[in-house]
This record gives sequence, structure tokens and C-alpha cells, in this order.
Amino acid sequence: MADDSYARDEENFEEEEVDETSFRAVKDAVLFAIDVSSSMLEPRLSGDTKKPGQESPTSAALKCAYHLMQQRIISNPRDMIGVLLYGTESSQFYDEDGDRGDVSYPHCHLFTDLDIPSAQEVKELRALAEDEEEARKILKPSKERVSMANVLFCANQIFTSKAPNFLSRRLFIVTDDDNPHGENKSLRSAATVRARDLYDLGVNIELFPISRPDHEFDTSKFYDDIIYKTSPSDGEAPAYLQPDTNTATAKGDGISLLNSLLSSINSRSVPRRSLFSNVSLEIGPNFKISVNGYLLLKRQEPARSCYVWLGGETPQIVKGITTLMADDTAQTVEKTELRKAYKFGGEQVAFTPEELQALRHFGDPVIRIIGFKPLSTLPIWANVKHPSFIYPSEEDYVGSTRVFSALQQKLLKDKKMALVWFIPRKNAAPVVAAMVAGEEKIDENGVQKVPPGMWIIPLPFADDVRQNPESTLAVSPDPLTDAMREIIGQLQLPKGAYEPQKYPNPALQWHYRILQALALDEDHPGEPEDKTKPKYRQIDKRAGDYVLAWSDQLDAAFDKMFGGTAATTSTLVKRGPKDSADSAGGPPAKRVKTEGGTGGVDEEVKRCYEKGTVSKLTVAVLKDFLTAQGRSAAGRKPDLVDRVEQFFENK
Amino acid sequence: MAEKEATVYIVDVGKSMGERRHGRSVTDLEWAMKYVWDRITATVATGRKTATIGVVALRSDAVSSVVVAIQMINTYTKKLKYKRRIVLVTNGTGQMNNEGLDEIQKKIQDDGIELVVLGADFDDPEFGVKEEDKDSHKAENETLLQVLAEGCGGVFGTLEQAISELEIPRIKITKSMPSFKGFLSLGDASKYETALRIPVERYFRTYVAKPPSASSFAMRSGGQEETEAGAGQSPSGGEALTTIRTSRTYQINDESAPGGKVDVERDDLAKGYEYGRTAVHISQTDENITTLETFAGMEIIGFVQMNKYDRYLHMTNTNVVIPQKANDKASLALSSLIHALWEQETYAVARLVAKEAKPPIIVLLAPSIEPDYECLIELALPFAEDVRSYRFPPLDKVVTVSGKIVTEHRNLPTEDLQQAMSDYVDSMELDGEELPIDDSYSPLLHRIDTAVRYRAVYPKEPILEPSEQLTKFAHPDNELVRGAKDSLEKLISAANVKKVPPKSKGRKRLRETEKPLSGLDVDALLKQEPKRTKISAENAIPEFKQMLSRADSIEIIHDAVKQMTSIIETQIKHSLGDANYDRVVEGLGTMREELVDYEEPTLYNDYLGALKRKILGEELGGDRNELWWLIRKSKLGLIDQATSEVSKVTENEAKEVSSNERDEF
Repeated sequence: MADDSYARDEENFEEEEVDETSFRAVKDAVLFAIDVSSSMLEPRLSGDTKKPGQESPTSAALKCAYHLMQQRIISNPRDMIGVLLYGTESSQFYDEDGDRGDVSYPHCHLFTDLDIPSAQEVKELRALAEDEEEARKILKPSKERVSMANVLFCANQIFTSKAPNFLSRRLFIVTDDDNPHGENKSLRSAATVRARDLYDLGVNIELFPISRPDHEFDTSKFYDDIIYKTSPSDGEAPAYLQPDTNTATAKGDGISLLNSLLSSINSRSVPRRSLFSNVSLEIGPNFKISVNGYLLLKRQEPARSCYVWLGGETPQIVKGITTLMADDTAQTVEKTELRKAYKFGGEQVAFTPEELQALRHFGDPVIRIIGFKPLSTLPIWANVKHPSFIYPSEEDYVGSTRVFSALQQKLLKDKKMALVWFIPRKNAAPVVAAMVAGEEKIDENGVQKVPPGMWIIPLPFADDVRQNPESTLAVSPDPLTDAMREIIGQLQLPKGAYEPQKYPNPALQWHYRILQALALDEDHPGEPEDKTKPKYRQIDKRAGDYVLAWSDQLDAAFDKMFGGTAATTSTLVKRGPKDSADSAGGPPAKRVKTEGGTGGVDEEVKRCYEKGTVSKLTVAVLKDFLTAQGRSAAGRKPDLVDRVEQFFENK
Repeated sequence: MAEKEATVYIVDVGKSMGERRHGRSVTDLEWAMKYVWDRITATVATGRKTATIGVVALRSDAVSSVVVAIQMINTYTKKLKYKRRIVLVTNGTGQMNNEGLDEIQKKIQDDGIELVVLGADFDDPEFGVKEEDKDSHKAENETLLQVLAEGCGGVFGTLEQAISELEIPRIKITKSMPSFKGFLSLGDASKYETALRIPVERYFRTYVAKPPSASSFAMRSGGQEETEAGAGQSPSGGEALTTIRTSRTYQINDESAPGGKVDVERDDLAKGYEYGRTAVHISQTDENITTLETFAGMEIIGFVQMNKYDRYLHMTNTNVVIPQKANDKASLALSSLIHALWEQETYAVARLVAKEAKPPIIVLLAPSIEPDYECLIELALPFAEDVRSYRFPPLDKVVTVSGKIVTEHRNLPTEDLQQAMSDYVDSMELDGEELPIDDSYSPLLHRIDTAVRYRAVYPKEPILEPSEQLTKFAHPDNELVRGAKDSLEKLISAANVKKVPPKSKGRKRLRETEKPLSGLDVDALLKQEPKRTKISAENAIPEFKQMLSRADSIEIIHDAVKQMTSIIETQIKHSLGDANYDRVVEGLGTMREELVDYEEPTLYNDYLGALKRKILGEELGGDRNELWWLIRKSKLGLIDQATSEVSKVTENEAKEVSSNERDEF
């Protein structure tokens, strides 16, 4: 709970993405600016006859914003999001005191103020995106043309006041109008000046252009003057168009429009934050280039629970403050008075802070290549944590990119890897790691899925390798293996590959789904969606017969290798009866078991349940049964009996 | 539990042990103690109460000292189950009595004691130690001790070997417990007759061994002076330290309260979560309401091809999955899966719930076949939420702003460079079939472990450099480098990499890219803007930057800074509590960054001094100490010479000004 946060923070220190050089807060603020014009509101029918439906570009954009809002509550709980509608008949903004209702920005309607979203705001945005009644009230295009300079300055003011000192501030413009001011020079130049203000403020404009059915969006007409070559907060980020030129414009009809917009926005849902920057990649003695490191894979955990104060009108999050006190005098201890010491046989062995730091120091941050090896020498088991991703930077060494590229291509081509000594940041513990080249991967919408670069996979030290536990070996004879091969052949995942995108984390999603329901006072959402559950029906249909054939082979091989009695003698005595039951069992039910006859137990427990005599079963049988059902087998006998009965009741 | 241990170390402290021999810098005793201390501290470090130690000092007869040690052990251990050991370290020059050797040997064996004899400069042909000009008395003693040790199944060795082995870090062997016991299944056995289930167990294959962790202590009140005096030295062995307790208080925001915060009682608090910025309270009866209902099991989802799996998707440490103990049928069944996966070059993907109500994870199951061991290697794969899509440009081509694909570019390697890289990589190929995992040791873990033990024995000594063993992989092997020298030189010349001088780093270098995609000269437009001679408060940062970039005289820079500082001070004055502090930090930070770039650090430094005086003098709307603290934390102190060459402020001066002392100006 909240109390152990201090210790945990320390543990996670090395994983944090920090900017050591900047005074700015490592936070992200995204403001959607969504064009509300009659063409943006024109519903587009879905071309797919199987999935009829219609979607206007504005509603697609709102759905994307809603989707991103929900997603960021989970993934970036400290980051801000807002929605500004422009071109609306109505105008809404806040005046100096923070109240809304001013008209200094005509036809700009600040629908969701830039902030960490509240449950209420989530609800309102959803209503706007999904409820037509609600939407009709607000989504009325103005008759007068909105000034883009005004829209941009409005955004400027929102960022300036609501997200001061954020490392990353991004304005997402969704529009189908590639030339809002035509030939009107003064309006155009006013807009370019306001765009420059945003750039100087450190706001990155990202455009999500939508083509009209009869007109391709042409950025050269207006937006090329608005958008900058580099991102103000990430000088090395590619200019917005480069990686996905072919899909820059979302087009087409309803659903596909929504999908391509979603995919495009998803790919920019988080700003690039580096894990470490400008670290030397030492290719050989006296030959260095510079690289930046990123965390592209990191387990997303639900936010920890916290304390909520219930004494007021609305529940409030409580901030816990820890005070350290000396045990003997009960006086408050300042951080500067702290000393670290190690326990050593009942005594403390102390070091000064300088010494402690020196002990952690193994040289400056570096990725130093100590040699190369075929990729095949990297054992599948040799892993301890997620990898880091590296990409070249020209900041310290001009020419880094071409050298990195040459190395990456060579390693890809010859299926080699580099062995490296890796110190990611100052005083981080050094590791020996495998540096593996990764290829660029593009998804079906043409959006980059995996970037090209190299991955640093920390290897275990001898200290981290556990000895294999004892295990009996019974090598499968060929016919049995062949039978299993048939099964495997039937159940390949699509394209024979694992796609993380297809498997949302069910526990994480459920956690936030429930929180959302509680926060919005909605009904319990019912059944959770869990895409990690195997497709049982398909498995039965496709592989069922092969499983039965394999089972016959297994019985045959087992009889041949161990005979009828061998199993019993090689087993713990108390398991004897079950094993024999299984070996003897030419099963009437064909369910395939190798568990040594839990089937018999299943039946027995079921019979007892029906007769109401579960409590007469032994603890061992109850435990076996519960374990076989994936239930906890902890506790005393009455608990076990309860759990078994519950199991049948819920069936 | 580990077995109880009783060890007696017999250390020869005879006069001859005080001599330095064979060019060693330490006396025989110091040399011997190196070994003894290492063993003793290693035992103490385990913190085990059941590992006991005794020490016997010996001045003359080594053999009778063994008898003393036997008695000590027997008195202490009685007839209980103990691992008994006597370690004798000597240089073998004293008087020794060989009477009753047989009896002693018999006693040692009967009592189940292991006798280890280590001698300074004892001959050991296997290890390669032979003392030239050994005097005959010592030779006799050596023979005697060898007979004694080996005659009772003990160990006889030379000290040099024992000491050299100390250099090799010792690995703590941890016995793994199963983290899952249940079924590896294919299909739903509760619904389909064709479901397959194999009872399995899961154990760690790798698990990161963490360095020992330090605890926090406070310097004992009154002891502070003492410690300051001894700065550089450590506070000695724990006397000056006192343990720490933590106490927690809880606060909520309350705008009406002074300082905007108010304390609340622990009893008024309930458990909850944040959903966005909304607090969601969960009543105790609903405690597990957000927990997904799951049941333990390892269920196969499907299979993937090995060549389509990217190794970097491994998210965690790895485990082994083996058949249920003593279940031959399970072994056979699992073996068929392992072999089939292997033959088909396939991995299985499965959903694992290790215990009821735990969140499911998706794991990869890979076959592992060794001559006498078969198992599945299992590790976690990423979920959709675990993948962050940061985009990066391709490395083998350059796409221009207009969408054109370019294959020759300064960011792309030439054919020459590619060839040179290829040759270099080939020349740096490491020998051996396997990765050197077995002889790579966690540098931090062993360094701290050694340092703690060393400090315990020598509290006054400074900390040591890490041993060679620990940094063995910090650099490429010399011979390999020598062999690759030519190809490296060719690579360096083909690469033509230039180090960026530290000064020209930073944003101003990118001036030419500060243009929109169209290349439009916005600066020219800005100059035409009549309004922009005064910096407006609401658009201060952009206008400040623009004013500087247009500045053609130092006066304009001065003016810009003056305007900016007055805006910042107004923001401070009008800040309700800390409401404007982030804006202030942003304004100051921008000013600092820009003035470094324009090489006008003095302007910033002078202003910061003035600001500090005003803040600490409470001239800007009362107590703003918290703001000064924030400014320090944001590293917005004086611009020193390390940051800007033209600065007159040294690093130390900059540090001082950042301190909170009022009287420094």
C-alpha cells in the first residue's frame, strides 16, 4: 500500500525516464484541436457492407480523443489531455479567474480543459463522441470562418497557463481543410507567427489531416508553414510526416477513417522520452559514436492504491508525508543526517555517502563492445529483464548515424550480435549484455510498429543462474512426438507470430474498467473481456482428434516403457491408487489425462458433492481436486470443503 | 535450512610468522590472515546463527593445537548434528610432535571433522608451488602435516592457492521453490473431452541476485561534530549510528487553509485509487472488486515459429517448466511436447495464472533438450499496453520531407564504410561456442559484499577498487584488439566521425532547422509585427526568445532580460501559494538556457542573485522559500564555467549560491 512507496521508488530508480539536463517536468500535455465544419460533420458511410455504419470525421476524431483519454489514464496517469473544438458557433474559454464564458477567442470552444482528466470529463467527452443529442447542441459549425491565428493563440494560452514547464506539450490538429485562409495574406501570416510562438514555447504541432472524398489533403497549401522540421522538445525526433508519408492523410469512409485515425494517433500517444541520452557506443578502442536509449517494452502495472479522505463532499486523494525520527531521541532526522550502513553479523558497517557512490562507480556511462558472436549463441533462457532500445544521436559525434547504420545492417545480415559492457547512466550497476539488431516493422495501416535500431538485452551473471531442479527424464519415442507434432501443426497463431497488440492485459483493463464504472457511478460492467483466454472451441475442433490420437500413443508408450506397475512403484505411495486408477483406466470418458488419474478424483469428488458428503473426503483429495481446478489449495479443511462446494455451485 | 556448522581456525602466530618471505610485501601472518579474515567475514556476512566459529592461536606445536581444536568442537557441538571443520594455517617452521598421530587421525575421523591444512610456501606440484632452498626442518613438518591431513580424509594445500581462489567471487546457491504447480493444458477440460493436461512444476531458471541493501541510520545526536571532524573517514563501526523510525502524516488540499493544505486523521481515510484526477474510494467489503477473477493454470493459446520470434520480446527473467515430480507419465507427455516443438522449430504461447486470483500473464514456452535434462523454458511476453510506439526514421534509407527516398546521404553508410564495418565485426569475433555467463560475476554485488567485509575488518582503510575478476568484461580482450587493429583503423577512417566540441552543443546550432517545413522565413514576418517590441506577459517565453534572436545590440538583450525579469517577479508576487511557481521556473529556465546560448551568463547570474535576495527578504509577496527550494531543485543556479566558458563563476561558487544561507550576498 501507500506506505512502502519510498522503498519501491528507490528500487525503480534505474528504470525511470528522467531528463537530467533539463529543468522541465517530465510530463506530457496533449491538446486536441478538432475542426468542426460542415464537411467535418458530414457523415461518411462505411464502404464495408458487413459492418454498416457511418461516421463523420469530427465524431471519429472525438472518439479517438476519448479513446486516448481512457488509455492515458492507465498508461500516463500524471499527464494531461484537453479537447478544443474550433469553428463552432459557440465560443467557450476561461477568463483570468479561471471561469469559463469569455469570448476572447471566437469560435473556439474549450470542451475539455487541459488537465489530468476527471471522471466527469471522461463521461462528457464520451457523450459528445457517442450521443448524437448531446453532440448536436455543441457541434454546430459557425457561419463565420475561424481565424487559425486565434485557434493557435488560444492553444498557446491553454498550454501556458495549464501545463507550465512541461517537457512535452503537443497540439493535435484534426482537420480536413488544407487551406483555411486561401489567399488571405494577413490571416495566413498571422497564423504562421502564432505557430512560431507555439514552437518557441516548446509546443509541438502534430497534424492529423483528413482527405475529403473529392480532394486529397495537400499540406503544402498551408500547414507546411505551420509545422516545424524538428520537434522543439525532441530535436532528433523525425519531422511529423517522414515515417508515415503514405498514410499521412486518413481518408475513405466511416470505419476505415476511424481506424486509420486511431492507428495514427495511437502511434503518437506517448511522446518520446529517453531512458538515457548521448551515451557512448564504443565500437572499438578510441572509436565512439553516441546513442540514445529508450524503453520500448515495459510492463504496465495498475497504479497503486492510495488513501482517500472521505470527510468532505467529494472523496479526496491524500498525500502521505513520511517523517524520519531517530529511535533513541525521537527527534526528526533530516535527509542530510542520514547514513547508510550494512548489517554485518549484528553490527552495522557504515560508509560515507561519497564512499557509497564510489562503490557504485565502475566508470562513465558506456556501451562498450567487447566482441561479436553468432546470434545463435544467445540461449533462450539467458534473460533477466526487458531490453533497452538504442538509436544513434548526432549530438556528441557527427557521423554516428551512418556508423550505427552500418553496424546494424551488418549484424542483421550475418545474424550476429555484439557482446557489450553496459552502464546506462551515472553510477548504474554495470551489466554484460547482448546487443541485437532489430528490423523496422510496419503495420497494415503503414504506421511503424517496431522501429529500426538495436536492442540491448542484459544477460544474467553467474550469480543470477539457478540450478535446474531435479527431474525425471522419460524421453518421448518418435511416434508419440509425431502425434504431438500433428497437434502443434493445427494450432499456429496467425502468421505464426506473436503480436502483442492483440493481447491487452486483461487484469489491467479490468481494474480500470471497474474504476471507471465506480467513478462514473455506472452499472457493473458484467463480464470482463479477456483476449488471453485460449479459443477452446477452435482448439477442440481443429486439434481434438489429434489429441485423442496422441493420448493413445501416450498410453502405448507408457505401458511399453514402464509397464503396468512401474508407475506405481516409482510414485509416492499415497499417490499410488490414483496412478493405478489411471494406468488401468481405459477411460469411458475420453478426456485426456496425464495427471495420474485426477479424473478418478474428479468423479469421486463430484459424487460426494451430489451426496453432500464432501467433508468426508481427505484433505489430500480435496487439495488435489482444487489444484487441478486452478483453485487455491491453501487453508484448513473446512476452507477446502467450502471452496469445493462453491466450485460445484457456480458451475 | 542449511546444516549447522562449527569451524575452528588455528592460526600460527609464532615468531617466524612475522617475517616477510620470497619478496612478499606482507608478513606470513598478514598473508595467512588474508585468508582467515575472508573466511570468517564470509561466514558472518551470511548472518546465520547456526554457523559458528572458533579461533585458536598457535605458538609452537601445530599438532597439539589440532587436539585443542578437536576438544573445542566437541565441547561445543556435543553429539549433535554439525558440519565440523578445523582449518590450520601455518608456515610450518615451528616444533612439531608426531606422537600419537594415529590416535588424532582416528579421533578426527570418528568425530566427523574435516581437517584443512594450509601452509605458506608449502610445496604443491599440482598448483605449481615449490619453495627453493627449503630448510629440512620445514620439509619434515610439511610431510608430517600432509600425512596428518590426508590420513584422515582431510585437505592439505598451499596457502598461495587458497588465496588466489579468494579472488574468484563466490556464488550463493539458492534453492528454488516451485512458483507454480498445476496443469499445462491445451483446451478446456471442463467442457471438452479432447482437452490435454500435463501436471507440471515451474522454477526459476534465472533470477537476479541483488546486492546487499543498506539501511538508513541517523547519526547519533551529539555525535555529529565528531563525524564531521573525521570527514573522509567513515563513521566507525556503527557506534555513532542510531536506527530510524518513520511516522506518517496525511494531508489534503484545502484552499482556505494557510499554505493550502491541511492535516487529516488516519481514521478518516479509506483505501482507494485514482481514476484520472478523480479519487475512487473502495469500501472494505469490495476490496477485491477491481481484481480479475482467475484460476491457476498454464493454458496454451497457440504456437509460433521460432524464426518469427524476436528475441528482444523477452520481458522477464526465465523459468523452467518440468513434469510433476515422480510422475513418469507426465514426464513422457511433456517430453513429447518438448521434442515436437524442437523438431518443428516452434514455441508455444500460453496464458499463465500462477495462483488463484493472480493476474494472467502471457508466456513463451521454448523447448530445451540436453542429454540428461529436458524442460520448457518459460518467460513473459509483452501485452499490448507494454509496447510503447516511439517512431524512428529508417536506418537504411532517408525519406525527405517531400517523401522522396534517398539512398546516399550523410546519415547513410557508404559502401566503403559498410565493408570496413563488416571486416571489423568479423575480426572481433569471440571464440567459443557459448557466452561467458559462467565466469561473469555481478560487479556491484560482489564489490559491495567485499567492501562490507573489508570495512568490518579494517574500519580505517579506504574502500578498494573492484577486483579484476569483476571487470573482466569491461574491455575487449587485448589480443582480440591487437588482431583487429588494422581493420579498426580502416573503419575509423571510412567512418570519418567527428566529435562535437562541447561548446557548440545546444540548440543554437540548429538555427537553420528552426523553420517550418516549407522553409518560410518566419523571422522576417516577425520583424514586421509592430506590436512585438514589448514582451507581453501572456506570451512571454516566445516573445522573449524572438526578441533575443532579433537583437542586434547588447542593449536589446539587456532590455529583454529586464522585461522578462519584471514579468517573472509579477508572477511571483501574484502567486496564490505555489500556483505560479511552475511558470516562474519555466521562465527562469528559458532565460538561463537562452543566455547560455547567447554567451551572456553574467546577465543571468546577476539577476539570480537579485532574485534570491528578494525572495529571502520576503519582498515578493511574503514567504517564498518554497520557490527558492524549487529553483534549486530545478538546477537553475548560477551559470558556472563548466556550462559557459565566458562565465566568471566557478563550480564551487555556483554551489554556494544555491544554498539557502541568507548572508552570502
